[in-house]
Amino acid sequence: MARRSLLWILSLAALIVAYTLVARAISRPDVVPPAEDIAGAFAALLGRGHQLPASDMPAHHHHSSDQVDTLTQEGVTLQASLAVTTARVLFGLVVGLPLGMLMGLLMGWSRRADDYLHPIYVLIRSVPPLSLITYIMLWLGHSEAHRLIPVVYAVAVTAVIPTYHGVRDVAGKYVVAARSLGARGRLLLIKILLPAAAPAVLGGLRYSIAIAWMTAVGAEMLMAENGMGNLLVGGGMWSSRLQTRSDPAVIVVGILALAAAGWAMDMLARTVSARLTRWAT
Amino acid sequence: MPSLRVRRGAVALLALAVVYLIAAQVGRGRLPDRIWMGAHYVENVQLLPTWHSLAEEGAFLLESGILLDSVLVSSGRVFIGLLLGSLAGIVLGLLTGWGTRVESLADPWVTLFRFTPALALLPLYVVWFGYGEASKVLLIATNVAVITLLGAHHGVRAVPRVYLDAAASLGASRWLRFRKIVLPASFPSIFNSVRVAAGLAWVTIVVAELIDARMPSLGYLLALSGAYPRVPTMLIGIATVGALVLVFDLLALLLHARATRWMGRAG
Repeated sequence: MARRSLLWILSLAALIVAYTLVARAISRPDVVPPAEDIAGAFAALLGRGHQLPASDMPAHHHHSSDQVDTLTQEGVTLQASLAVTTARVLFGLVVGLPLGMLMGLLMGWSRRADDYLHPIYVLIRSVPPLSLITYIMLWLGHSEAHRLIPVVYAVAVTAVIPTYHGVRDVAGKYVVAARSLGARGRLLLIKILLPAAAPAVLGGLRYSIAIAWMTAVGAEMLMAENGMGNLLVGGGMWSSRLQTRSDPAVIVVGILALAAAGWAMDMLARTVSARLTRWAT
Repeated sequence: MPSLRVRRGAVALLALAVVYLIAAQVGRGRLPDRIWMGAHYVENVQLLPTWHSLAEEGAFLLESGILLDSVLVSSGRVFIGLLLGSLAGIVLGLLTGWGTRVESLADPWVTLFRFTPALALLPLYVVWFGYGEASKVLLIATNVAVITLLGAHHGVRAVPRVYLDAAASLGASRWLRFRKIVLPASFPSIFNSVRVAAGLAWVTIVVAELIDARMPSLGYLLALSGAYPRVPTMLIGIATVGALVLVFDLLALLLHARATRWMGRAG
C-alpha cells in the first residue's frame, strides 16, 4: 500500500515537473503557460488580481492577458462561475433523475410499457441534448431555460437504463420471491423493488453526474453570460465566441476547478450510495 | 406475423408521428411566427413545421448535397476520433488493469482527465492545435480514450482470479495468460465502453462544430439554421444526428454480437 501511494505521489510530481520542463522548453506562454502564469490567472480569477494595481507590487509576477482582463472587467470570478455551474448541474440532477427513473421504473416493471416506450426512448436518447439549444431558444426565448433543459434532458436520458436494468434484471428475482410470500402493491414497491434496484440506480447516478457537468459546461460555452463555460471561452457575446485569442492559463485553471468539482461530487455520490446500499454487501 | 413486441413498437412510433402531425396542423396560425431573438424580431418562423415543409426542406437539403456532405464530414471526424481514442484508451486500460505499478503511475493523470468535462478541453485544444481538423478529432479522441481506458481497466480487473491461477498452474506464461484469458474475458466490458464513447463522441462533435461553424458539417448546418432561424432545417439536422447515433450504436451492437459469438447465449 505504501509503495502504491509512493508511486502515485511520484507520478503526480513527475506530471508537474514534466509540464514545467515542457513549458520552459517551448517557452511560448501564450500556448503552454508556465506554472506561475497559471497561479497568477488563478489569483486574478479569484478576484484578487484587480484589487491590487500592478504598480503596487512591481517585484511580484503579475499575470495579465486579454481573457483575464475581459473577465475581470465583467466581474467574472472563478468561485461565482463554479457556483452557477454547480447550481445548473444540481438543478439538472434534481429534475432529470426523477423523470428518467420514473421512465426506467415503468419500462422495467411492465412488459407492455417496455414494448411501447422502448422505441421512443431510443429515439430520444439518440439526440444529443446540446443540439437542441437553438430550438429551445426559439420556443422559450433567450433565457435560463435553454441552458437548463439540455442538462435535465441529458440526466433523464442517462438515468433510464440503470433503473430499467435494476428493476427488470436485479430486482426481478426478489419481486418474484416477495410475491410468492404474498407481498403486494405499495409494500412490494417500497420494501422490495426500490431497495433491490438501488445499487444499479446509484451506479448510474455517477455517470449521470459526469454527463450533467459536461452538458452544463457545453451549454454555457455556447450560450450563457455566466458559469464555467462562459469563463472558459472568455465571456463576450455567444455569437462571437472563440473569435478572440484565448488565454490557456485561464482555461487550465477552469479545467482544474471543474475536475476538482466533478471529483468532489463523484466522491459524495459514492459515499452516499455506499451508505444506502450497505445491505447488499 | 411480426411479434407482439415489434407491433407495439411500430404502434408507438406511429402514434408519435400522428401526434406531431396534429400538433403541427393545430399550431399553424396559432403559434407565434414572430420571434424575439435577443436583438431583433424574426418573421415567418414555423415553430412546429408541418410534414409538408419538412419534406420540402429535406428534399432540398438532399438534392443540393448539403446534407450528404455534412454527414460525411462529421461522421469522418467522429470515426477517426473514435478509432484513435479507443486504440489509445484500450491499450492504456489493458496496461493499467494488468500491472499494478502502471496503474499507480497512471492514476493521477487518469483522475484528472476523468473528471474534466469533455467539452472544457475544447478552448485549450483550439489554442494548441488551431481551429482546423486536429482540435476536433483530438477532442473526440481524448474523450473516447478516457471512457475506453476505464472500460478496459475494469474489464481486466473483473477477470476471475481462478482462470488466471488455473492457467498459471498449467504452466501458461504471463503473456499467454494475457492473450488467451485476459483479452477475451475483458472484451465485453471494452466493447460496452466503446459503445458509450461513440454516443458521447457525437455530443462532442456537434458542439465542436457549432463553435467554429465553417466547413460543411452537421454542426454548421445546425448553427446556420439557428442563425436565420430556419426550423425545418434545424429539425432535420437534429434528426440526422440522432439517426447517425442510432446507426453507430446498431453497428456496434452487431459487431459485438459477432465478436462474442464464442461465449454462447441462452435463447
